[in-house]
Amino acid sequence: MASGKSSKAVRNARSVVTATKPKPWGTVAAVLAILIFAAGIFGYVFWQYGERRTFIPSAENQDPSAQIEGVVVEDYDNARKHVGFDERVAYDQIPPFGGAHQDGAWAACEGQVYQQPVRNEYMVHSLEHGAVWIAYNPEQISGAALDSLRQRVQDQSYIMLSPYPGLGTPVSLQSWGHQLKLSDPNDERIDQFIQSLRLNQYTYPEPGASCDIVPGFDPANPPPFVEPPDPGEPGAVPVNASPESDPQPAGGAAPAPGGEQPAPAPPPAGG
Amino acid sequence: MSKSLTVDEKSTVETGTARAPAPRWMRALVAGAAVLAVLLLGASLGMLVRLPGAGPAQPGATSVDLGFAQDMSVHHRQAVQMAAVAQERSSDPLIRVLAFDIEYTQLEQVGRMQGWLSLWNAAALPPSGRHMGWMTGTAGIAHGHGEGGEGSGGVQTMPGMASPAELEQLRSAEGSEFDVLFLQLMLRHHQGGTPMAEYAAQHAEIAQVRNLAEKIVTSQSAESQYLTELIRQHGAQPLPPPI
Repeated sequence: MASGKSSKAVRNARSVVTATKPKPWGTVAAVLAILIFAAGIFGYVFWQYGERRTFIPSAENQDPSAQIEGVVVEDYDNARKHVGFDERVAYDQIPPFGGAHQDGAWAACEGQVYQQPVRNEYMVHSLEHGAVWIAYNPEQISGAALDSLRQRVQDQSYIMLSPYPGLGTPVSLQSWGHQLKLSDPNDERIDQFIQSLRLNQYTYPEPGASCDIVPGFDPANPPPFVEPPDPGEPGAVPVNASPESDPQPAGGAAPAPGGEQPAPAPPPAGG
Repeated sequence: MSKSLTVDEKSTVETGTARAPAPRWMRALVAGAAVLAVLLLGASLGMLVRLPGAGPAQPGATSVDLGFAQDMSVHHRQAVQMAAVAQERSSDPLIRVLAFDIEYTQLEQVGRMQGWLSLWNAAALPPSGRHMGWMTGTAGIAHGHGEGGEGSGGVQTMPGMASPAELEQLRSAEGSEFDVLFLQLMLRHHQGGTPMAEYAAQHAEIAQVRNLAEKIVTSQSAESQYLTELIRQHGAQPLPPPI
């Protein structure tokens, strides 16, 4: 009862107020001003970020390849054991894109176009130095397709091109810890991958390292490709062997799956 | 008296209903909108002042970033110097490639750090001539002989640095003796620089500085393992680690 009465009073009061009180134009204008101002600033900032949504690495966007569909990422930062010339690494990926690698030299990666497949251990060392490696299946890529890949490499720095026998896709891109397999040699993601990861200070382990030709690797006659061994094969170095792991395992803590070989078989035979 | 009171009461009630005609949800909505408007205004002004991630940071004179860039430049330069000698003097191709790798990489990194210092309008070298004062609370620094300066602290010689006598010895060594001494001095040099890089990787303000320090820690630990192996292959032992 009382409530009905009071609501009537409210209605009356309201009609009185609307009748007498002037429209709050000041408030409306202030709110509009705030909204327009905020919309302007937000719009500007979003526009700026839109401009920046590129594949150029920055402190805020350390790995732009995260925006590229299909990129596979592996963390090899603690798997960088250096191996001798005679040792072979049981790489877990084809082509490999990180892990233990050849110590004495790296594959020259100043725009080298290799005609023949090159030994993995050298190519992985170049990835450690910040290079991008474009591998292709020589049975699927030739002629114009090969030319378009070659164009992205020749006269460029920190990049190299080589055939990879038995590659599952026509093209595969590698940088340290990153891989993108593609079927189209003109896929726009090739350039995105290169922009995102070549010499990206946040994604490769040795900023400042060289791609130059060094003794021990002749780009005209590079160490030929060898099929990577199975992880269990005797003498195969595990891909994730860490620099700290002793070459002669004392406590049998070697993570090799087929670890039924107590004989340590130390690598340096040719001393 | 009692009459006037009733009039007063009546008027209060009337004005009360006139001022607060809205139901509770409406008032909450208005209050929420007001708060939102204020927040929106604040966010806009904030973005106007500084776009997130835009503009270079300017580390102070006593900052970790600046101290690291100055001291690691000095530390790296000695490695560059020793590596240059090894490229010229070693007869072992493996050691010559390793020396090239070290010289090239560390000189490039010195270039980065010197570039930062120039952009920060900072001195290229520590003005006090003392090192690592920016690493506060480090055991090695706590009892550094910093009495001479105006309490700036730090050390005269950084850990892992070869002495002038050792450098002279390296320059006059020959053959396998040279190779072993180079590997030993370089390993100790790497070991000495690691705590500095570790400290900066944790405490520097700027992402790029932290990143380089981090990369120095990991890459030099991998390289130290390789150096140790090479020393053993030459039938020698590493020098005692610094400090």
